[in-house]
Amino acid sequence: MDIERIYQESFAGRRNWKDRPPYRAALNGEITAVLERFFAAKRPGAAVSGVRRVGGGASKEQFFFTLSSNGQDEKYLLRMDPGMAITETDRAREFTLLDAMNGVVPVPRTAWVDNDAEFFPQSAAIMHVVSGVAKPSGSGVKVSGLGTWLGPEMRAKLRDQFMDHLIAIHAYDWRAKPLDRFDVPDADPKQAARWSFNFWRELWQIDEGETRPIFALADQWLADNLPDTADLVLTHGDYRTGNFLFDEDSGRITAILDWELARLGDYHEDLGWVLTRLFGTVDETGTFRACDLYEREEFITEYERRSGRSVSRGTLHFYDVLSNYKCYVIVAANGLAAARSQNNHQDVLLTFLGGTEPVFANELANLLSKGAQA
Amino acid sequence: MRPTFDERLASIVRALSEVVLPHLPPEASLAQEQVQLSIGHLQIMRAQLDQLHEYEREELADYTALASALCDAVTGGTQTQAALDALAQAISDSATQPVRAARKAVNEAVDALVKACAADGASGARETLTRLILTQEHERIQKDRKWFAPFGFDTL
Repeated sequence: MDIERIYQESFAGRRNWKDRPPYRAALNGEITAVLERFFAAKRPGAAVSGVRRVGGGASKEQFFFTLSSNGQDEKYLLRMDPGMAITETDRAREFTLLDAMNGVVPVPRTAWVDNDAEFFPQSAAIMHVVSGVAKPSGSGVKVSGLGTWLGPEMRAKLRDQFMDHLIAIHAYDWRAKPLDRFDVPDADPKQAARWSFNFWRELWQIDEGETRPIFALADQWLADNLPDTADLVLTHGDYRTGNFLFDEDSGRITAILDWELARLGDYHEDLGWVLTRLFGTVDETGTFRACDLYEREEFITEYERRSGRSVSRGTLHFYDVLSNYKCYVIVAANGLAAARSQNNHQDVLLTFLGGTEPVFANELANLLSKGAQA
Repeated sequence: MRPTFDERLASIVRALSEVVLPHLPPEASLAQEQVQLSIGHLQIMRAQLDQLHEYEREELADYTALASALCDAVTGGTQTQAALDALAQAISDSATQPVRAARKAVNEAVDALVKACAADGASGARETLTRLILTQEHERIQKDRKWFAPFGFDTL
């Protein structure tokens, strides 16, 4: 299968998911002990304290902690893979990207990575803590940031930044400043789309998703309609409300998070993801807002105006379908496989997220009813 | 007198809500989230339990009806014909299989037919297959959305 090399390697490991022993959520004391062993090697004399779990999120185990050294306290965030994550990603690649993005868009500063799980029980990365919230206080309990309601005031403060940061990511000059561990899909014009589609198609096979006719139709439609990519850019891969932090008082975005699905590809892929209906909101007038920030056409035209790029409606239609196909794979195959194998720390969340399956099936049916081009 | 499923689930929900959850320390964020999700899951399962078998039987009937319509309408070369034969067998087997295994087998056979038809379906066969699947799935999906509506995700 034509797929980026790094995923050929990680998929080989994922194929044995049924043989892995169950994974249990790490306890604060266990994390403290492993951090102490890690820093005994990396920063002798430093003391670890205040280890506490970070709530929210559906993919990684995350802990805040304080590191004291030479009379100074520094706060850090540990991100560690569970036994089996909801998607297949690479901590070292995410680390590389965060370093590259420093100064381009607001990102957490990296500190250490243990990609080969030399010290930690799973692949792990440590970052400096960034202040901010992922959703407004009092916005209620929302699973994994889906459909977060920002409201008119915060929307007005965030929307230009949200757009400008996305455009800055797409404008990153990866040819002048190459990204280690990122392959370039330039063998033919369709390779970028094919790599992305094959990534999710392969995950579906590995995790033994149970098919239904609309999924089968979407799978074949995507295989038959791969678009050309004329302009390869860095894509974030999971750019949406819920995956950035902002200061509630000023409305300033303080960090873009969750870069683990970033790759070199087609900017339409990020646009399609932003426009995914489940990540947006519908207000009392029935108006849909992508990520509760922009109406669909407004987002597209504003992206074109600010970036100078043109948005192909046909290509965007492909990535609209692919976005919902990805979501379908995540909730109906990846999450359920992780839960079935007891290889994740949040089985009950993953099976709850499985309840979104009909939403994505409905979106696929609506999109495919439009034919090859919207 | 024996406890019903509903009474058993209700007692578990109450124990989690009123005994376990209030005693979790504020810093146990993951435990709090997991208990709240568990309560939500159980409450939805309580509400669905009496309709579960009917829902699953109807689901299989819908997929089998689609599969039969595809068998009647789609033609093609050797790959398509082999997939049609396998689909006809899956439909026949579904009458005696457990309902979930039958649903899986029928849908896998439809999946194989979609791929085969793309390879050597007769002229117009793909359009017919697409139309039948979209029509039938539009109806089926509305039932699934209603079933999963209590999860609170579906606001579209």
